[in-house]
Amino acid sequence: MIKDITIGQFFPGDSFVHKLDPRMKLVLTFIYIVAIFLCQNFFSVGLVFALTVLCVLLSRISPRVILKGMKMIFFIILFTSVLQIFYNKTGTTWLDAKYFQITSGGVFTALFVVIRIISLILFSSLLTYTTSPTLLTDAIERLFSFLKIFKIRVHTLAMIMTIALRFIPTLIEEIDKIMSAQKARGADLESGGVIKRAKALIPIFIPLFVNAFRRAYDLALAMECRCYRGSEGRTRMRQMHLAFRDYFALAVTVCVVAAIVFFNIQFGSVL
Amino acid sequence: MSLLEVKNLTYIYGKGTPFEMRALDGVSLSVEKGEIVALIGHTGSGKSTLIQHLNALLKPHSGQVLFMGKDINADKALTRSVRFQVGLCFQYPEYQLFESTVYRDIAFGPTNMGLKEDEVRAAVSEAAAFVGLKEDYFEKSPFDLSGGEKRRVAVAGVMAMRPEVLILDEPTAGLDPNGRRVILSLIRNYCTQTGKTVIIVSHSMDDVASLASRIIVMNRGKIAMDGSVEQVFLRSAELTKMGLNIPQVTQILLELKKRGYAVNSSVFTLEGARRELLRVLKEGGGAK
Ligand SMILES: Nc1ncnc2c1ncn2[C@@H]1O[C@H](COP(=O)(O)OP(=O)(O)OP(=O)(O)O)[C@@H](O)[C@H]1O
Ligand SMILES: [Mg+2]
Repeated sequence: MIKDITIGQFFPGDSFVHKLDPRMKLVLTFIYIVAIFLCQNFFSVGLVFALTVLCVLLSRISPRVILKGMKMIFFIILFTSVLQIFYNKTGTTWLDAKYFQITSGGVFTALFVVIRIISLILFSSLLTYTTSPTLLTDAIERLFSFLKIFKIRVHTLAMIMTIALRFIPTLIEEIDKIMSAQKARGADLESGGVIKRAKALIPIFIPLFVNAFRRAYDLALAMECRCYRGSEGRTRMRQMHLAFRDYFALAVTVCVVAAIVFFNIQFGSVL
Repeated sequence: MSLLEVKNLTYIYGKGTPFEMRALDGVSLSVEKGEIVALIGHTGSGKSTLIQHLNALLKPHSGQVLFMGKDINADKALTRSVRFQVGLCFQYPEYQLFESTVYRDIAFGPTNMGLKEDEVRAAVSEAAAFVGLKEDYFEKSPFDLSGGEKRRVAVAGVMAMRPEVLILDEPTAGLDPNGRRVILSLIRNYCTQTGKTVIIVSHSMDDVASLASRIIVMNRGKIAMDGSVEQVFLRSAELTKMGLNIPQVTQILLELKKRGYAVNSSVFTLEGARRELLRVLKEGGGAK
């Protein structure tokens, strides 16, 4: 079912990772993503991977959920590693069939790339797993509020994002419901060629869009009734404060980035 | 052999996630041909989940659903044919209309069954007549109709498949009193004219009392009561504990009885209550 997608979902909790200030989490996630791309050898990538695993453990999100999220990108991982193994022809040759060779260089690069992708996905999904969408957009709005000087309407964009995120689960639920209803009338969504399947989507998407527009009107009306008029003079219900743990996390990150740079210089590159 | 039989059904939403929710827990029941069954229960008691199993939209995590003695989840072809024989009309079905005309929307089900064009036309006309839609509505867009009319089109869309069992999930939800009355009398008509089995999910005890011959009460994913209208409504104390009511007229009669009037309180419809009160009045206003 569509509901089984876990990437982008939020799992409430009160772990160390959950409690970090969302602005700090956002910045640190960004730094880590950059750091992952900076890694050039197994020492640095190993360090990043270990840290990722540590953060996942700290967040106390059930490993089942994490694995389910990884299932989605399984094919990307498989595809990349197969590509790397056959493409890269450096190092000692381990297997020499007529049409392809498997070399140590190929296997190592594949391994390296896979660890990188897994760390990348794990780390960025951890951000959404542990931060509620409203907090996340709130953080984005604050972090980017300096763009106001370029006449960019940060608040409006953040509001659009909040609403969009808020309605994703609603829309998914709705798709499920409409699909069930049309299946109950004998709609066949599972068989036939491409054209037949595309046609079978019409009974799903028309009601979905009609309902989405209806809901948008209702929401706009409700917001107007409560005198919503953008960011002007709007105060916040939730103030964000940086705590000791945020500075601690920042310090750890700085150390890790320094270590990566050091490893890169010390041990060279495998790529 | 019962027409529809449910054996020890269990269903868990979000199985294997932190959000696990046991929506059905060991539910068993059987429905005979021609019965009019009401399914009642508090919000979240699992009614909608149960009925989605009856036409194999949901697959049980344990247990079986048998239609005419055969397990409906056994093979794909059977599942597909059961979808037509057990017609399910969802809560707020008007949000699932999609075609450009009323006629084409009602014809969606029969067309999927592979009927020929004249058979489809006959089925649509028949269904439209059941829900009191005149033929001059056929070429209108379903999106231009009123809420109650949309609801009727949607119900007709299911009736047009001529199912052996018609299941309606809260057909009167969100309608005004007049709309409710209309829908209920249309369903009653459908039952008497076709003699087919009908299962109706409802929150309203008054609707249920006037329509059904049998009531199944669900509570927290289990069947709490299953019996005739009288049998169920006589257990008013238990119903109240489950957050349910008995029909308003019965409440009034019970209150009268408590105050010493010699009324018979096992009356559940407005018409029955009128007769009962007139009888009591004729006999001298009851013993005070
Ligand atoms: N798609 C779903 N995903 C997760 N949980 C669900 C889903 N649908 C229903 N549930 C849960 O299962 C339980 C039973 O729901 P169900 O819809 O069967 O109740 P219901 O008796 O039809 O209620 P209502 O009278 O409000 O329609 C509820 O607690 C609900 O929260
Ligand atoms: Mg329901």
